[in-house]
Amino acid sequence: MSQALVTGLNGLSYAFILFLLAAGFSLTFGVMGVLNLAHGALYMLGAYIGLQVIASVHQFWAAVVVAAIALAIVGYALYWFFLKKLYNKVPQQGVLTIGVSLIIANVVLWIWGPISHTMMSPRGLTGAVHVGSLGFPIYRLFVVGIGVLVLALLWYMQDRTRVGAIIRAGMDNRDMTVSLGINYGLVSTCVFLLGMALAGVAGVIGAPITGAYPSMGDNLLLLTLIVVVVGGTGYIQGTMLGALVIGMLDTFGKAYIPSVALFFSWIVFLAVLLLRPSGLIGRKVF
Amino acid sequence: MAPLLETKELSVHFGGLAAVRSVTFGIEPGERLALIGPNGAGKTTLFNLLTGQLKPSGGKVYFKDQDITNASVFSRTHMGMARSFQITSLFPEQSVMVNAMIGLQGVEKSRYAFFRPIFKDRVLTSAAQELLESAEIWDLRDEVVSSLAYGQQRKLEIALSLASHPDLLMLDEPSCGLTAAESADITKRVRALGKKITVLMIAHDMDLVFGVAERVILLHYGEIACEGTCDEIRSNALVREIYMGSRKQPGGV
Amino acid sequence: MSDERKRSTVETAAVAAPDAVAGRRFGATTMQDAGVVTVVAIIVLLLPLFIPSFVSSLVTKIMIYGLFATSLNIIWGYANIPSFGHAAFFGAGAYTAAILVIKLGITSFWLGLLVAIVVSAAIAAILGIPAFRVFGVGAGAVNPIYFLLATIAFGELLSRVAITIRPVTGGSTGLSGVPKAHIGFGSALSEKQFYYLVFVLGVICLFLMYRILSSHYGYALRGIHDNEKRMQALGYNTWLYKYTSWIIAGVFGGIAGVLFCYFGSSVIPSQFAMATSDISFLLVILGGTTVFFGPLVGSIFYVGIEYVVSIYLPARWPLIFGGLIVIAIMATPWSRQRYQGLGPGVLLLWRWLGRAVPRLWRREIAEAPSPKRGV
Repeated sequence: MSQALVTGLNGLSYAFILFLLAAGFSLTFGVMGVLNLAHGALYMLGAYIGLQVIASVHQFWAAVVVAAIALAIVGYALYWFFLKKLYNKVPQQGVLTIGVSLIIANVVLWIWGPISHTMMSPRGLTGAVHVGSLGFPIYRLFVVGIGVLVLALLWYMQDRTRVGAIIRAGMDNRDMTVSLGINYGLVSTCVFLLGMALAGVAGVIGAPITGAYPSMGDNLLLLTLIVVVVGGTGYIQGTMLGALVIGMLDTFGKAYIPSVALFFSWIVFLAVLLLRPSGLIGRKVF
Repeated sequence: MAPLLETKELSVHFGGLAAVRSVTFGIEPGERLALIGPNGAGKTTLFNLLTGQLKPSGGKVYFKDQDITNASVFSRTHMGMARSFQITSLFPEQSVMVNAMIGLQGVEKSRYAFFRPIFKDRVLTSAAQELLESAEIWDLRDEVVSSLAYGQQRKLEIALSLASHPDLLMLDEPSCGLTAAESADITKRVRALGKKITVLMIAHDMDLVFGVAERVILLHYGEIACEGTCDEIRSNALVREIYMGSRKQPGGV
Repeated sequence: MSDERKRSTVETAAVAAPDAVAGRRFGATTMQDAGVVTVVAIIVLLLPLFIPSFVSSLVTKIMIYGLFATSLNIIWGYANIPSFGHAAFFGAGAYTAAILVIKLGITSFWLGLLVAIVVSAAIAAILGIPAFRVFGVGAGAVNPIYFLLATIAFGELLSRVAITIRPVTGGSTGLSGVPKAHIGFGSALSEKQFYYLVFVLGVICLFLMYRILSSHYGYALRGIHDNEKRMQALGYNTWLYKYTSWIIAGVFGGIAGVLFCYFGSSVIPSQFAMATSDISFLLVILGGTTVFFGPLVGSIFYVGIEYVVSIYLPARWPLIFGGLIVIAIMATPWSRQRYQGLGPGVLLLWRWLGRAVPRLWRREIAEAPSPKRGV
């Protein structure tokens, strides 16, 4: 029973990793309406870049920053060369980004090789906090902490800042927002880059938990899709809720009934898609 | 004689905005009724309610004495309703001929035929020819619709709305965007439609309205402000006020 | 029809060539086209006599992929229902055939094919009901993005089911050792005989699909592609069309899967998943959605490149595959969609050749009881 608490922490930290990952996707999808199916591959790129930085300069936070910036650059290139021309053409965006994800995955494989890398949690965050007979890994607590911080920041941005208001207005009615004199294009590009950077950060922070292996991009993309749809787009709370549901379901599933855990999330995904596409807390998608 | 189309307290809300409120009217078989009103009065919204593209928040619609309030769009067409659209709504990547053929087979059983090449269907191709010739666009039959001039597209637009041989033809601003000459042509065509077709028309062009309509309904802020024959409407002070803009929304502001 | 009218149709057909924009939306089925198809078919028929066997196995693969991609084009190009999960049917067909042979010992190819068709149709029918209830125009319709995501889910779900029910499906390693096809008389088919089986089935399926797409039903699909709202206003039950086209596409996709199962002698879970769906839509986009033979042309190109890369740069194949996708999407002038892809390119080339060839061709067209231009 008490082991369940540890599993619970694992689930929670996993949920926050999913949240960090999905938040970026939720922003680009919910705000710009862009279907970026390269998101998983970008997470992977972030993880590997982070790995490289840590291997070179042994600085965890430097890795986070570098990954964020690198991904923002990649994201901008993606936007400039491709996505700009596919405005509103969702299936084409999907197809294109699938192609991009294959390219990125193979490039990563090319540069860093086919073996999996285990990323050690940074010094200072290793070990565990012991409460009675249970050990709670410090790193996982750290991840939860970071996750809560990012959640708070994004939530604040969404509800309390002018930028957030612009974004919400744009989601409702883009034309109207633009005609109010707001440079929505600039806002959405910035949001897009923010989403990319978040994916990079998620990659570095999540790697010690999810691992870094060449095919991780696909798995994580699918998880992202599930989280965003189940939770609902348009509200950051929705993404968090989705991440919680899926993170917990997946972790507890794997711990107790591993054989079916594999497709629990998919059943939930399909059920939500077909019965309640707006998700648990999402903007109405009609 | 029972009205062909009848509504009872039809209304629809979008959030807090009542786009159409409590509209009750009827149209007799063979009648020509025009729906006028300033922009935003709810005319096209009312059309959408009548054709089923929009579900009402309240009220009922009856067609040929049957309650069609919840009927699907396509089943209403089979019952004998047809409409044209204010914003031209054609099949842009197909040729004019194909547009006509698609339009015609919509109410035919053959629309489910999945093995016979469509161009071998002589009945359909000659019906399409007839339709296009009467719209005077037969010589454009192989042109791709997206390459046609606006006026030509409008002709096709109206032709398509006649393709299902409707009992009730609903025209939404048929002369929208057309030159005076083209509008006059439309007026002529609508007048030439036989008594077997009932016509309900939204129009801004008063020449068209007075040239075709027997009765006119004025819609304002989603409600019927007044109705009457052309002469009555022409001389009605309220109508003038509404169009001139001095009339405010009932109930204040 | 009066003589005058007949003449005018005939004249326009003769003048067809210059304006015959490449693409199913405008290219007429003239005698010319039927001629091309016959010639190509004869070439393919005679090919194994002249070429080494690895080439004929490549051609077999081209035919199977061509069938797979053309089935996707029914919904993607014609009815405007893009799907990232078409492999769900491909895998269904493949696994059905494999399970029948390996697990149940039913060696008849035809029975396997029949059951696979039923299974594919059933899966399509079941998945399609909720999916299409929410996808489309009209009251209650949902943003089509969600349908796209749902198609991804279908494929992945089936792939995971295949991994999970190990006793039936062989789990994550799938089933291998599918014996050569047995068509009911004589011994199992050799590779060359299998080639002909695929050819015959491929031709039949393509013919059926072509007829369906050029029929009243097919034109209704095109109408839905262009303007679903208007179609409803004209009296079409668009949900029914989309649903049935989904099932039809699924059935032909399943048939391709069956053939692939015998081709590769094995089935693996990824045949349901995105990895295979990626191939399907790459073929469709590469070849062009607007021409019936587009996806087939795409698959010729694809199999060729795949083969060359597998020899020289096998580790970089995903990169090249991704690159192909990016090029296919970006190199298409989306506003003039009729020209998109290799297929129209080939068609345009053929039409150009047809004009360059002397009057003999023209006369043939003029004398044909011509279907009107604008097919």
